[in-house]
Amino acid sequence: MSTLAPLVLPPKPRGRWKPWLGLAVVLLITAVTLSPQWGIAFSFEAIVKNWQNGADKVLALLQPDWSFFPRTIPPLVETLQMAVIATFVGAVVSLPLSLWAARLTNPNRYTRGLLKTVLNAVRSIPDLLYASVLVAMVGVGALPGIIALVLFNVGIIVKMVSESIEVNDAGPLEAGRAAGGTQLQINRAIALTDAWPAFVNQTLYVLELNVRASTVLGLVGAGGLGLLIDAVRTFYRYDQLSLIILEILVVVVVIDTVSASIRKRLV
Amino acid sequence: MTTLTPTPPGTRARPALVLPAKPSSWRRLTATIVVTVIVIVAFWSVDITWARLGSLPGEIVRYLWLMFAAPNWDKIGEALLQTWRSVEMAWVGTVIGLVISLPLSFLAARGFAPAPARGVLRLLFSVIRAVPEIIIAIAILSVTGLTPLTGALALAVNSVGTLGKWGYEAIEGVDPGPIEAVRAAGGSTPEVIRWGVWPQAMPDFVSFWLYRFEINVRASSILGLIGVGGIGDMLTSYTQYREWSTVGMLLLVVVVVTMSIDAVSGALRRRITEGASVRELDR
Repeated sequence: MSTLAPLVLPPKPRGRWKPWLGLAVVLLITAVTLSPQWGIAFSFEAIVKNWQNGADKVLALLQPDWSFFPRTIPPLVETLQMAVIATFVGAVVSLPLSLWAARLTNPNRYTRGLLKTVLNAVRSIPDLLYASVLVAMVGVGALPGIIALVLFNVGIIVKMVSESIEVNDAGPLEAGRAAGGTQLQINRAIALTDAWPAFVNQTLYVLELNVRASTVLGLVGAGGLGLLIDAVRTFYRYDQLSLIILEILVVVVVIDTVSASIRKRLV
Repeated sequence: MTTLTPTPPGTRARPALVLPAKPSSWRRLTATIVVTVIVIVAFWSVDITWARLGSLPGEIVRYLWLMFAAPNWDKIGEALLQTWRSVEMAWVGTVIGLVISLPLSFLAARGFAPAPARGVLRLLFSVIRAVPEIIIAIAILSVTGLTPLTGALALAVNSVGTLGKWGYEAIEGVDPGPIEAVRAAGGSTPEVIRWGVWPQAMPDFVSFWLYRFEINVRASSILGLIGVGGIGDMLTSYTQYREWSTVGMLLLVVVVVTMSIDAVSGALRRRITEGASVRELDR
């Protein structure tokens, strides 16, 4: 004879208050950041007041000034030139540095740590800040823009490629060492071949980022479409601005599509 | 009768070493040629006086020396205040962005909304992602004025683009089992979302929000360049005054603040997506 065992519910999981605590902290910080005293003073009133004089300008965004098109071509070309050159230089600089930053290809902990720290610092400054400082250093033009993009690219490529080297199979590298290869020979013959797809993939990804970034670098005087954006915005020619935004959209989408299709076949 | 004479060593015919055919490389060759041509054309046609490159390294070292040999710490108070303003912009932008993007990413995910809505939303997300946030800020500043609010709104708009995309990808990636279980038990769509999707997707969502906050912290310092306030605003002014020692101090502040926020947010993200470490569970 069998009796039905009484239904024993498992205890409720502990720590169910944790998400609520998180939510409370987020709400508290948000309240502080929105308060007029401590924060950025979010007020619908100001928006409503500005709406009347701003609305016609926003409307102008919907009516692109097509006659402006010929004047946008040279800056657009310069933007693409900057993106291509910066990607190339960035990739060339990054390849040896990626091998330097990965544990498998550089067993020395100290030189590796040093490089990683420097690159972390380099990566934490946005490209436009580099550009604005570099314009003051080397003057207006495409050159400071390219240098800014290169700095930004090296930070990204080295991080991504060195991380992908670390997850690569260590076997071939050990085989190379067992065959008596020096670290340099192993890196060149084995690690480089393994890292190649990741490297090309990241380089194309960085090209996409560069096209996007180089359109605005001119805002601080570093050449390209941004110079034109700065000019039309001081005259509130939002119809011309809208044409430039459209061009950026088209160029970015085209480059992204091409690069994404190449990357898909690669990996 | 023939005698078997052993073949002297070394003379026996070895099978010829047959190498496998080389992989056809015309594709790689075309790719190399195309890339080379593009790069050469870009270098050749760009409007740069290459002669200046020679003096450039020296110049840059000189400026780095001016900036970092003795950073000017007098303005540190104002710098921290402006940094706080930038971080606030980033925070508000992220919060507004996540509030808007959360429902939208459900509408853009397969299985929760009609296909046309999905297509429109996905197009909207990718268009937003293609426009840099600083241009969004320029476009809306005639309505909202040159205030930190403009910066926050521009970041919010841009965040909707990325958070929406990551969100619907995460929703589509969850295990369909629990969703079917809720459906089978008679759950409505909100209940499916609450009990079938959310428990699985929540860690992803929270980590996306944190990651987007990190991006926004960087972007908010950029937005200062057009005058909406914050650390970028201060940096441009001091660059224009050519007060290099102050610029150096400001750059150091940006690096330290960004890296600390990244570290905290990264640790939180790891804790959320990977769960507690073994030691913590023992307690």
